[in-house]
Amino acid sequence: MLIGKIRLISELKQAARYSKADQTLIACQHSQQTIFRFSSGKIHQNFAEQDITVWVKTSWHGRVGVATCSSLTKEALRRAVDSALAIAKLSGKSPAASFQTNPLKKPLPVLQTHFAQTAQQQPKERLTLLKNLWLTAEKTGLELAGSSTAGESELAVVGSGGLAVYQPFTAGGLRLVATSGKSSGFAAQSYRDSETLDADELLKRASDHCRRNRNQKKIPLGKYTVLIEPEAVAELVEWLSFIGFGAKQFYEKSSFMAGRIGDKIMGDNITIRDDAADPACLSMPFDFEGVPRKNVGLIEKGRAQRLVYDSHYGKLYHQPSTGHALPYDEAEGPIATHLLVDPGKTPRAEMLKKMDRGLWITRFHYVSGLLDTREALMTGLTRDGTFIVEKGKVVGAAKTLRFTQPVLKAFSQVIALSKERRLVADPAQGFSSVVAPAMLIRDFTFTGQTK
Amino acid sequence: MVPSKPKNLFSETISYLKRRGIRYGDLRFVHALKEELVVQNGQPQHISQSASEGVFIRVLDHGAWGHASSCHFNRRGLKQTADRAIEMARAVALTTAPMAHLRPMKPARGRYETPLEIDPFRVPLQRKLDYLLWTCQVLKDNPQIASAIAKLEFHKTEKLFCSTEGAWIEQLITESGGMIEATAVLGNEMQKRSFPTANSCSLAQAGYEYVKALDFVGEAKRVRQEAVTLLRAKECPSGKTTVILMPDQLILQVHESCGHPTELDRALGMELSFAGGSFLTPDTLGHYRYGNRLVNITADATLPKGCGTFGYDDEGVPAQRVPIIQNGRFVNYLSSRETAAQIGSHSTGAMRADGWNAVPIVRMTNVSLDPGTGTLDDLIGDTKKGILLATNKSWSIDDKRLNFQFGTEIGWEIRNGKLGQALKNPVYTGITPEFWNSCSGITGKEEWRLYGVPNCAKGEPIQVMHVGHGASPARFEKVQVG
Repeated sequence: MLIGKIRLISELKQAARYSKADQTLIACQHSQQTIFRFSSGKIHQNFAEQDITVWVKTSWHGRVGVATCSSLTKEALRRAVDSALAIAKLSGKSPAASFQTNPLKKPLPVLQTHFAQTAQQQPKERLTLLKNLWLTAEKTGLELAGSSTAGESELAVVGSGGLAVYQPFTAGGLRLVATSGKSSGFAAQSYRDSETLDADELLKRASDHCRRNRNQKKIPLGKYTVLIEPEAVAELVEWLSFIGFGAKQFYEKSSFMAGRIGDKIMGDNITIRDDAADPACLSMPFDFEGVPRKNVGLIEKGRAQRLVYDSHYGKLYHQPSTGHALPYDEAEGPIATHLLVDPGKTPRAEMLKKMDRGLWITRFHYVSGLLDTREALMTGLTRDGTFIVEKGKVVGAAKTLRFTQPVLKAFSQVIALSKERRLVADPAQGFSSVVAPAMLIRDFTFTGQTK
Repeated sequence: MVPSKPKNLFSETISYLKRRGIRYGDLRFVHALKEELVVQNGQPQHISQSASEGVFIRVLDHGAWGHASSCHFNRRGLKQTADRAIEMARAVALTTAPMAHLRPMKPARGRYETPLEIDPFRVPLQRKLDYLLWTCQVLKDNPQIASAIAKLEFHKTEKLFCSTEGAWIEQLITESGGMIEATAVLGNEMQKRSFPTANSCSLAQAGYEYVKALDFVGEAKRVRQEAVTLLRAKECPSGKTTVILMPDQLILQVHESCGHPTELDRALGMELSFAGGSFLTPDTLGHYRYGNRLVNITADATLPKGCGTFGYDDEGVPAQRVPIIQNGRFVNYLSSRETAAQIGSHSTGAMRADGWNAVPIVRMTNVSLDPGTGTLDDLIGDTKKGILLATNKSWSIDDKRLNFQFGTEIGWEIRNGKLGQALKNPVYTGITPEFWNSCSGITGKEEWRLYGVPNCAKGEPIQVMHVGHGASPARFEKVQVG
């Protein structure tokens, strides 16, 4: 059961009133979820999790202090408020001391982020679904591994000046890895509304990839035209966000955007924005400082356009916060967490046909974007399906490949984007997502292969 | 240690679990404190203190596990959490054939506490802040340094574990650590140098004395100078060559290519949908030639100062020192009671959770490359042509833990037994067993260094574990660089 708007805000307001600081912000996330993990037709792990985290940020004479606790008792909240103030008093002056605690001037957009049917899903019905999937897979000679997650949460932020915002959420997901000997195939779906879950389609996709993935061949390394599915695109875009779209990375000059705002850094067909109000993503109306999340055009038709800010980095750059603050105990700075890549015009079904010779990649694994963040040079591996395409048809499977590729360059060589997009997210985390199309990219560089 | 009032409630909960007729149950209470200070370019960027506490209950009933957590540990909250764990187990038991099996073990009763000289939570915040500000001042003392960061991080974790078998264990674990990082910029060129590790703080299970020994102010000048030097350094050449890896890179090599593939849950397919599997499948145990005879890798949860050190793991198994790779052969897994039983073995004591609201899973403890003989100078002197690589910058490995690629912050040429000019953007790649079979020298224990890695991610929901790794510089032949 959720605590509910009235009670949660009331508890936090009491703590904010108790604070002796100049300004106080208090955020609270309460969540409960269940997860089942399985392999070889057995549940090997399950968990009914219940969690509360309260973050307190205070400012005192231009200084900031942060404390957290995991309880809503009066004593615990007061202890956290006192700790945050004590830290602020010892700290030096900081631009982070400027944050809004007053009520919002405009009402928040109305977003449906909580679905009763997701919250009310019972373990038994989810387990029955899993069992049916295993039996169906077994009939075709495949085994299934994966996880099923579902839960609900609520986020509230109050400020000492009267700010009070609240939003309930649900999130769930199903991940499937179909296996047969050394071959495997993957499919996953995350959602806020469990009625949108299409488990049969996931099983079909994972099974299809697994069956095609048999007899993997060694292929020459080098440059290939690749068709990468939304899951693989999302992995690259998440890394772009982590190393480049935030004002902190810009400030440290490690971002590929630093010194290049307005410059063409990707192809004309690439537009990436962060818009947490878009219903296609795991939407949320405000950030952990209670600031409404803005629609930020990060890359527009290939040009480096804008960054995301929280109140701290907004102050440094004389910009308003774009509503991208993380919980106060995070030191990573603002991060774009609701990324949307604009779709193209090509139906996904037509994309393979556009390939004369190349590779179709379903998913990447263990991508690292830390090799050269100024060029977004990344490395990573293919996983659960690397298929050889000739004259528009899949003719076989390749062994796991390693790519090492500047992603700015790759995103300048995109031949086509699919009309359809998929939501890619970790349902257990529930607050961030990437909505991406499939991409057809020329000259994608592969530098290694697993034996 | 753990306050007395909840202790009674925990005993009552264990009694309640027994009354409910389950086969096995345990309860873990965790109270965790964390303090973090970050100074950037001479200004405090982030100071926080976090407190978190709650209980985790695990039951085995009708051959199935049930797990539940809660931050409400009053009588009613504990009973509800126990009921939820039982409900989960019974729901799972109706779906799948009985699978979970625990080998009997003598229930442990005991205490463990980190030996330390200075409790980091008693050192005034102001003193820590002043230390970081001073470090930052030295680190930033060049116009080409765009960002100078100094961080400290401290953890104090109290744990109580009790079970229906009769175990009762109390532990108090304290960790201290930090890092410094200088980012140098010249036009479009950007280079970083860090100490003692990059990307995250290096932690030790120790008090503030560990931070003092790191000597950030003393190291800051070298870190700054090397960052600036790299701006004009030669690009690391490509090709197959001899490489010497310094411990601050080699520990990540051990972590990714030995630590993870020897986790038994991965080898049994339990992580297939997320972290991946392992090339070290159970049929390879005891005979697989992982590396050559020089290579010995040990998992040691008893190692002083290790981030993977404890008295007992999170299912009450006493800490152990276990050879993983012995004279190049794969001889042991990191395991839990349940996974070990599946291969007819005993737990090697590696069941760990990253907090009260996390399921214990098989994790690394302190997985280290044992020292060999000789010195780094001997190793360099004995190398005609090669590259010395230091400080991990980037890491990536496939889902079976075979094909790896690492980037380091800096490299140096080796020519005719001597170190030459610095090299920027070094990267090396290989296949795990081929790489460890190409080892041609590991230096002695005088140069062996232990690091704490606080960001090992695994599991669903993701858990971030603190693990320890030690290594002394080692040499490898015919490695693909660039």
